[in-house]
Amino acid sequence: MAVSRRIATKFIAGAAVLVGTLVMPSLQMANAAEEVDGKLYMVIAGRQPVSHLDPALKYDLSVRMMQQQLYDALVKYEGNPSEIKPWLAESWSTSDDGLTWTFNLAKNAKFHDGSPVNADAIVYSYKRTMEINEGPAWMLDGFVEPDNVTAVDEHTVSFKLNKPYAAFLSFLPWWYIVNPALVETNAKDGDMGKGYLQENAAGSGPYMLERFEQGTAYVVKRNENYWKGFPYDNDRMGGVIYKLIRESAGQRAALIKGEADIVTGLSVEERQAVAKRDDIDITSLPSLTTFGLKMNTTKGVTADLNIRKALAYAYDYDSFIQIMNGEARLQTSPFTDAVKGQVEIADMPRRDIAKAKEYLAKTKHPDGGFEVEYVYVEGFELERQMGLSMIDAFKDINVTVKMVPMTWPNMVALGSKPETSPDLLAIFATPVSTDPDAIAIQYHPESFGKYYGSHFLEDPELIKLIEAGRAETEWEKRAPIYAQIQQKIVDLQPEIFGMMRNRGMAHRTWVKGYQDSPIRMGGEIDFYGVHLDPQ
Amino acid sequence: MGQLILRRLVFMVFMLIGLMAIVFAISNIAPGDPARLAAGPDATNEMVEQIRVERGLDKPLVSRFVVYLTNLATGDFGTSLHTKRAVFDDLARYFPATLELVVLSISFAVLLGVPLGMLGAVFQNKVPDQTIRFIAVSGVALPMFWLGLMLQWYLSLEWDLFPLGGRLGIMTPRPENITGMYTVDALIQGDFRAFREAFWHLVLPSLALSLPALASIIRVNRAEMLETLNKDYILNAQAQGIGPFRVVSAYALKNAILPTLAIIGLRFGWMLGGTVLVESVFDFPGVGLYATKAAVNSDFDPIVAVTLVLGASFMLVNLIIDLAYALLDPRVRSQI
Repeated sequence: MAVSRRIATKFIAGAAVLVGTLVMPSLQMANAAEEVDGKLYMVIAGRQPVSHLDPALKYDLSVRMMQQQLYDALVKYEGNPSEIKPWLAESWSTSDDGLTWTFNLAKNAKFHDGSPVNADAIVYSYKRTMEINEGPAWMLDGFVEPDNVTAVDEHTVSFKLNKPYAAFLSFLPWWYIVNPALVETNAKDGDMGKGYLQENAAGSGPYMLERFEQGTAYVVKRNENYWKGFPYDNDRMGGVIYKLIRESAGQRAALIKGEADIVTGLSVEERQAVAKRDDIDITSLPSLTTFGLKMNTTKGVTADLNIRKALAYAYDYDSFIQIMNGEARLQTSPFTDAVKGQVEIADMPRRDIAKAKEYLAKTKHPDGGFEVEYVYVEGFELERQMGLSMIDAFKDINVTVKMVPMTWPNMVALGSKPETSPDLLAIFATPVSTDPDAIAIQYHPESFGKYYGSHFLEDPELIKLIEAGRAETEWEKRAPIYAQIQQKIVDLQPEIFGMMRNRGMAHRTWVKGYQDSPIRMGGEIDFYGVHLDPQ
Repeated sequence: MGQLILRRLVFMVFMLIGLMAIVFAISNIAPGDPARLAAGPDATNEMVEQIRVERGLDKPLVSRFVVYLTNLATGDFGTSLHTKRAVFDDLARYFPATLELVVLSISFAVLLGVPLGMLGAVFQNKVPDQTIRFIAVSGVALPMFWLGLMLQWYLSLEWDLFPLGGRLGIMTPRPENITGMYTVDALIQGDFRAFREAFWHLVLPSLALSLPALASIIRVNRAEMLETLNKDYILNAQAQGIGPFRVVSAYALKNAILPTLAIIGLRFGWMLGGTVLVESVFDFPGVGLYATKAAVNSDFDPIVAVTLVLGASFMLVNLIIDLAYALLDPRVRSQI
C-alpha cells in the first residue's frame, strides 16, 4: 500500500527519541580507585560472593578473606613460606606433656568499639564456635572441650587438650575473636548472634565493615586506630571494596579501564595477556593446593594396587605442565612444597610405559582391555583437558577412559561412599594448615566421606603412622614419621599424584605492599599490608 | 470480569501447589548431599548429621513437603543452606532487581519491536523491511551471552558510554529500600541522580536481554500487520480520507496487536527465568544468579521458592495479558 512520507517521518521521530534516551550523557564513576572524602578505596574484582561473615559458620575463600580483615585471631599466617606469627597472642608456651597451651595476649588490642580484647573475649569466641559446631569447629573437634578453654587472668588464656595434638597451633589462625558484648546485645532467640553476624562485624581487625551488599560489593573502611598499626605509611588509604565481577572478560575490562585495582581468578593465559600492559603487573606463586586423580581402592579395577601403579606410570605428567602453560610444577611427594616436612620421594611415578606394562602383567588384565571412569567437574576446562590427555596416555597400555563430567555436589556425593566412588576422581584439595597432619589425614579413614577421601584407602600401617605423627609434639621426632608417611602413601598409590599449580592475580602497578602466602586460597587476598599509591 | 479474575486467582493457587510439588520432588530426588555441602569440605560426619537433623533432611520426602507447606503458609520460605539466610530475605533482595531488569527489557522490546514490525509491514520487501528482518533474524540467532559481552566491550570499555556492570556505582548512596527496584525507589524519593544512574546501569543488560523478545515481537507484529493491512475495513478507512498514519497506527495496529500481546506475556515469563546469563555478564545481582547458585549447591529451599515466585509472576502476567485481550477485543469481552 502507498504510504506518505509523513508516516516514515513519524516513525523515525519516535525512534530518534528512543535512541536519544540511549545516548544520554554518561554517568561513569571516576577511573582508578574509588575516592571518598580524599581517601582511596582499593577495588578488588573477584568472582565469589561473600555469603556471610560469621567466623563460626564458614571459611571459604571469600568469607575467610573478609573475616581476616574484620577480625583478629590469636595467631596469623603470613609470608612465603607461610609462617605462624603472633597476633592477639604475643607469645605462647606448651606444657611438657603437650596438653596445655598458654597464650599471653597483647595488652593494647581493642575491638572496633574501643573495648579491650581480653581473655574473656577469647574464651567466649572459642566456646561460641565449638557450640555452634559448624565452620572451623572440626579443627579442634575431639581435642579441646569448650570448658577446657579458660581465662587464667585478663591477658592469659589456657587450652587444656584431651590428647596431644601437634597441629593444634596451625589451625588457630582461622578462629577469629568476636566482641562478646556486641554479639550478646544483638543475639536473638538464643541464636548466639548468628543472625546479627551474618552481615555485621564484631571484631578488632585492621578494617571495619562499611557496607555489605550481598551479591554486589562488600566495602570495608581502614581502621586508622588499629591496635597493631599498619606495615606502611599511607594516610590516603581509606578502604577496600571487594566487588563481584563474575566473568573473566568483565574482570579484564575493569582492570584495563581502571575500575578495578586487583582482579582475582584469571586463568594463566588471561594473566599473561593483561601483563603485557605497562600499567598492570601479575603475581604467581605455587599454592598449597594439590591436584590429584583419586582412585577408588576398594572396588573395580583400581582396587588392585598393580593396576593403580600401571595407570600412574602410564599417565603423561608433562600434560599437567602444558595445560597450565608452564605455571605449575609436578608433585614430588603427596605433600606440596609448602607443607612442613615435605620430602622428595625418589620413586614417584613418572611416565614409563615399560614399567606400566610390567605392573599390568601382574594383574588379571595383563593386556589391558578394560575401561576406567574419570569423573571431573562439568565445565572445568582444565580437568576436561586432563581427561583428554589421559585418553591418549592410557591407549599405550590398552586402557580406555570414560570421561564423566558432573556438577560438584554430585561428585562429592558420589565420592562419599566406597560403593559409588569412581575409578578416578579429579580433585583439587587445599588444606587450611601447613602442618603435615593436614595432608596426611586425607589418607586416614577419618577422611572417608569427604571429597578428598574418595580413595577409601585403609592401610593399618599408614593409619598407625598418621596417628603417631599427630600425637608427637617434638618436631625432630615428627619429621621422620612424615617422611615415612609420604613414602608409604606413594607406595600405596591411592591417586595419580598431580601438580602444584601456580595461582596469582593481576593488579594495577599503583597497588603496593601485596604479599602472597601459599596458605591463602587462589583469589584470597590479605588486605592488611596492601595500599594504593597512584603517582 | 471480577469473577474471571477471582476464578483465575484461585486456579493459580492450585497450579502453584502443583508446581511446588513437582519442583520439590525433583530437587530432592536429585543426587547430591546438601547437608555435607552446607557443612563444608572438612566437616566431620557428626557435623554433617547435625545439619541434616536440624534442617529435617533426614525426614521422608512427604513429611518434609508437608512441613514446607505449613511454613510457607506463615510466609516462611525456609533458610538457604548456602547463604545461611532466610530465603524470603534473599528473594526480597534479588527479585526486585530482576523484575526491574525484565520490565525495562520488555519495554525496550515492545517500544522498539511494535513500531519496527509496523514499519516492516508498511515497507514490505523494501530496504527498511529487509533491514528490520535482518534485526529480527539476528535477535533470534545471536547468543545473549555473546551479545552482552560485545555490548559491554564496545559501549562500555571502548566508548565509555555505559558502566561495565552492577546496579549502581559502588560508592553511590542507595535509595531507601521501598520496592527494592532502585529506579522506582529513587523516583519515589525524588532522587533523580540515583534514578539516572540506576537507569544507566540497566540499559546494557536490558538491551541484551530484550533482543530475542524484540525479534519475536517484530516478526509477529509484522506478519499480523501485513494481514490486517489487506483487510477491507482498512481500505474503507483509506477511502474515507483518514490519514495513513492514523490508519496504520490506530486502525490496523489495534487488531494486529492481539497475537503480539500473547508473545509479550510468554516472553516476559521466559525473561524472568532466563536472566542468569545477562546477570552473570553484567554482574547484576538478580534472582537468576541466586537460583543458579542454589541449584549448583542442591540448596532446596531457595530452588523451590524461586520457582514459586517466578511461576506466580508468570501466571499473573498472563492474567494481565488476558485482561488486556478483553479490553482490546469486544469479542473476547462478550465471552466473559
